[in-house]
Amino acid sequence: MRKNNIIYSLINAAIFIILEVAALTMLSHNGRLQQMWISRGIHRFMGNIWGGTQRIGDYFSLKGRNEELALENHELRLKLAQMEQALTAEMKAEIPESNSAGEFIYIPATIVKISNNSQHNYMIISKGSSDGITEGAGVITGKGAVGVIDAVGENYSYARSFRNHEMSISARLGREGAVGPLNWNGRSSSGAILKEIPHHVVFEPGDTVYTSGYSSIFPPDIPLGVTGKSRIVNGATYEIDITLFEDFGALRYVTIVENKGQEEMHKLESGQ
Amino acid sequence: MKVNQHFGTLYFLLVIGQVILCNYAQLGPYIILSMLPAMIFCIPTAVSTISCMFIAFASGLAVDWLSEGIIGLNAAAALPAAFLRRGMIRIFLGEDLITRGDRFSFKKNGVGKISVALILSTAVFLTVYILLDGAGTRPVWFNMTRLGVSLALNFLLGLIVTGILTPDDRK
Repeated sequence: MRKNNIIYSLINAAIFIILEVAALTMLSHNGRLQQMWISRGIHRFMGNIWGGTQRIGDYFSLKGRNEELALENHELRLKLAQMEQALTAEMKAEIPESNSAGEFIYIPATIVKISNNSQHNYMIISKGSSDGITEGAGVITGKGAVGVIDAVGENYSYARSFRNHEMSISARLGREGAVGPLNWNGRSSSGAILKEIPHHVVFEPGDTVYTSGYSSIFPPDIPLGVTGKSRIVNGATYEIDITLFEDFGALRYVTIVENKGQEEMHKLESGQ
Repeated sequence: MKVNQHFGTLYFLLVIGQVILCNYAQLGPYIILSMLPAMIFCIPTAVSTISCMFIAFASGLAVDWLSEGIIGLNAAAALPAAFLRRGMIRIFLGEDLITRGDRFSFKKNGVGKISVALILSTAVFLTVYILLDGAGTRPVWFNMTRLGVSLALNFLLGLIVTGILTPDDRK
């Protein structure tokens, strides 16, 4: 009896929702103001749903993230200790306390939405113009460069993912090797191709590829991936398969890098 | 108890009355006159919530279509009143009325209890109506004044409608 009552109440509620949605749809088609108000409400509701599912997803991936962060922390502590040993007292005093390092400013952010299934993938990031984000800033993680900010709203930014055919990163073979453009291979989640590597350059499968620093977007020496098979194209240059370090399917936390000198560089390039 | 045979006719006539009210009784921006919440509240308790929601939806749409309002506005406002009707009757007029499928009337159930349920039903209708009509463009004080003034007038109108739709049994 009680079970029947619950089912009956659920059916009532479902029919109520269906009829109310029908009435609101008619209303939004017939009143301009109502249309704007209802669509704004729907967008806000969908935003909350996205946020909610994102938070649930984040919660269940906490264990894995914690292990990753602990490992990264360990490596960073090790590097810091080595650096501190190498620095003199005077050099230490000159280091400013801020979120910037050299020409770059680093801003931590979270990915709110990510597209991974098309040829033009993108990310929505939880920081916008109110956090100091500007168009053209890079998006990185500890495992690579993952995108470039294309559009900035007040609280959110739209970034073109590295897994996008229009995206290219200037990459270097090893720390001091040859430089060429790195593109997504368009198929696998961790596959990329490093192009235009001169024929005479010597390398081995398993060599690490880093950002070159020859762009105004990404700082140099961010590890991107390791080399795999290679082939000679047009008898002149190598095309090398790269396995990326970053797993785009599990991407949640990123760092936005702003180059303080980017505007000046663009002005110089455009001859102003 | 047998459902009043004239109820359907009276309800239909009141829908026409509501259309006339919407078209000719323009009493300013603060006043909405609607018999719909009282009409929905008076639908016999033997009628299920689902049927009641369909009746409310159809009456609201009829009023919207035949008057100069925005189509869907009365229908959207009438639905919550229909959805909550049985709950209000259960709380204010007693569970027995629903289980027996009895009609209520001022004489049997008292003006006080029916008035409280009627005010709540009207308030639900008017709140949804005012929010959707304003579509976020009107200040809170305006909406609250509109709700207060309309609720007072609609309550009085609702008492008349309830008197028409739920007559006391003549013996």
